Amino acid sequence: MLKVKNLSLRFGGLTAVSDVSFCVEEGETFAVIGPNGAGKTSLFNAISGVYRPTAGEVLIAGSKSRLPFTMSTVLTVFVSALLTGCAAVLILNLTALWDAVIINKFIYDAAFDWVDCFWGSVAYFSAQNTSFMALPFLSGSIVGGLAALKIFSSTRVGPEVCCSFGLTRTFQNVRLFKDLSALDNVLIGLQNGRGLNFFSSLFHLPSLRKQEAANYKKALELLALVGLGLDAERLATQLPYGSQRKLEIARALACNPKVLLLDEPAAGMNTTEKLALVAIIKRIGALVTVILIEHDMQVVMGIANRILVLDYGSQIALGTPAEICVNQAVINAYLGTSSEVASV
Amino acid sequence: MKGSIFSTIFLSVLFSRAKASPLAVLLIISLLPLLFELIFPGHGICERLRPILIFAILGLGLNIVTGNCGLLNLGVAGFMAIGAYTFGILTVPIFPFQINAWLGLLASLIAGAAAGFVLGLPTLRLRGDYLAVVTLGFGEIIQDVIRNLDTITKGSQGLNPLPALSILGVELNNSHPSLSYFSLLIIIFIIVLLLRNLNKSPVGRAWSAVRDDELAAGNMGVPVMRTKLYAFTSGAALSSLAGALWASALGSTGEPGNFDFQLSVTALCIVIVGGLGNLAGVLLGAAVIVGFNSVFLVELSQFLNSAGLSGTQNVLATPANWKFLVLGLVLILMMRLAPRGLIPALKGSSSK
Repeated sequence: MLKVKNLSLRFGGLTAVSDVSFCVEEGETFAVIGPNGAGKTSLFNAISGVYRPTAGEVLIAGSKSRLPFTMSTVLTVFVSALLTGCAAVLILNLTALWDAVIINKFIYDAAFDWVDCFWGSVAYFSAQNTSFMALPFLSGSIVGGLAALKIFSSTRVGPEVCCSFGLTRTFQNVRLFKDLSALDNVLIGLQNGRGLNFFSSLFHLPSLRKQEAANYKKALELLALVGLGLDAERLATQLPYGSQRKLEIARALACNPKVLLLDEPAAGMNTTEKLALVAIIKRIGALVTVILIEHDMQVVMGIANRILVLDYGSQIALGTPAEICVNQAVINAYLGTSSEVASV
Repeated sequence: MKGSIFSTIFLSVLFSRAKASPLAVLLIISLLPLLFELIFPGHGICERLRPILIFAILGLGLNIVTGNCGLLNLGVAGFMAIGAYTFGILTVPIFPFQINAWLGLLASLIAGAAAGFVLGLPTLRLRGDYLAVVTLGFGEIIQDVIRNLDTITKGSQGLNPLPALSILGVELNNSHPSLSYFSLLIIIFIIVLLLRNLNKSPVGRAWSAVRDDELAAGNMGVPVMRTKLYAFTSGAALSSLAGALWASALGSTGEPGNFDFQLSVTALCIVIVGGLGNLAGVLLGAAVIVGFNSVFLVELSQFLNSAGLSGTQNVLATPANWKFLVLGLVLILMMRLAPRGLIPALKGSSSK
């Protein structure tokens, strides 16, 4: 379901992630562990489109998470180049055209003839020297075409694109939408299955009302799934910290992902909350592929099918929990032996 | 006249049956000058309060961009100018178009939306301060472009005389002040209804999400670029509508220098003082700021002048000149005492 090949992420001289490769099968629960600063969140950022990887690639459900360069893209670039070129010519000739077509043809008290105006402009432009118009048209269209290409290339990859390919995530420091209620936070995830339509929102068209009613029910179900059924109308910031983390999970699930990245979901929770969280993740794990970063080894060992261990940006081990527990490199870097732990 | 009294009472009943939200209260209060004018005509109350209504529409437009979507726009005056001049060019008798005034309003809406789209497209990736600077530049550019294209816009003279909007032959300008005031109220009412629709819809939620946390919004599938474009376009369209209504009521576009940065700052103050993102707040902000500056201070100056207590030679003693002193003081006080505005945005479930 998720394939990461030779992924590297460098910030100038600092290498956050170095040559990491792994594969996550569908339905698996995969864990990423390692000491602080090992590059786990950077790995998630690179996978979820927040940063562009310096090297390597990420395949979500078999396809690269970037918008393809289709015929409609070519058409859009071509049309914007054409429009910008025409606009450039028009702007340069604006006052002269106005004089020729509007002022000089103005007969007081007669109705304005739009068709005549159109043919007048055509006549004006055909009377112009072609080479005179060529330069502004060319430069305008080059600017327009390049701008369209630039917009395309910068929107080609990114968090939204990853979401459209079926990958969402939660964040290490909770990033909920503060001014919205818990229900609204989840609705944000649900509403993006179909594109945002301005006019149906403006007039509350019946199609929108039906969609909203369906989303409302689904959002309540998702909140119940994570145990927040009674807190639907509360403001996101008014929820206790543990509930906020659960709300983030519900919001991410609302996007109907194939792969769900959980970044330290149990951070700051007490034992009871962690047990509830483990139950939630097990329930989710039956529906989607889950990849999680966690420091609490009991949580990890309880739910992970396989574990990846990172240290200083590179992977030092990959295997089942049983294999990881006895891997010497992992013990040295992260887990520690039981005697080390006892002496603390 | 009986018709207007009846409709006033009808609307008041309508609002009182709705929940007693600040919005309903404000809209009822705004009917009071109308009653005053009907009972004591000739004092020009409705005429003098008209700037409040125009600025309310301008503030509602800016509120979409800055309040709802969190994009700081310092060039609202540019959009207002585009609206005023589009209306002017298409309706003034010296040019052959001379279309119906209502169609002129529609055209200015479309022109404003187009301008908002064109400004929004390249600036979508800019954050915070950078966006503010670009919009500030845009406002200045529009002012100069209008002044320099004088074959089309008649430069510093402005375009006049412009026709007033008329319903069934009744002109909606100073010749019928109460009807003009009432029609502006109706327009504001319709705009507020549509904006409330938007706020409780996926688009409104997307705007809040992009304002709160753009990155998280992107990761949850919100189309950030499209959301910002919607905000820019609709905000610009509303601001242009305000400009066109202003030009129509005045009968002239006035000179391009009127649509300057100070106008943008006034609009921004309205939104901030009233409450970012809150419709009732914007209306209250317009009433407070414009009411104080353009109505109260001017009246005070005239009163002092006629009472012989000060002359126009004494700049400091003429309250009308205190406009920007007051604006600055109000902003400082608001930031200190009530940073979320007079009516902070009601946060809560949008699906109610």
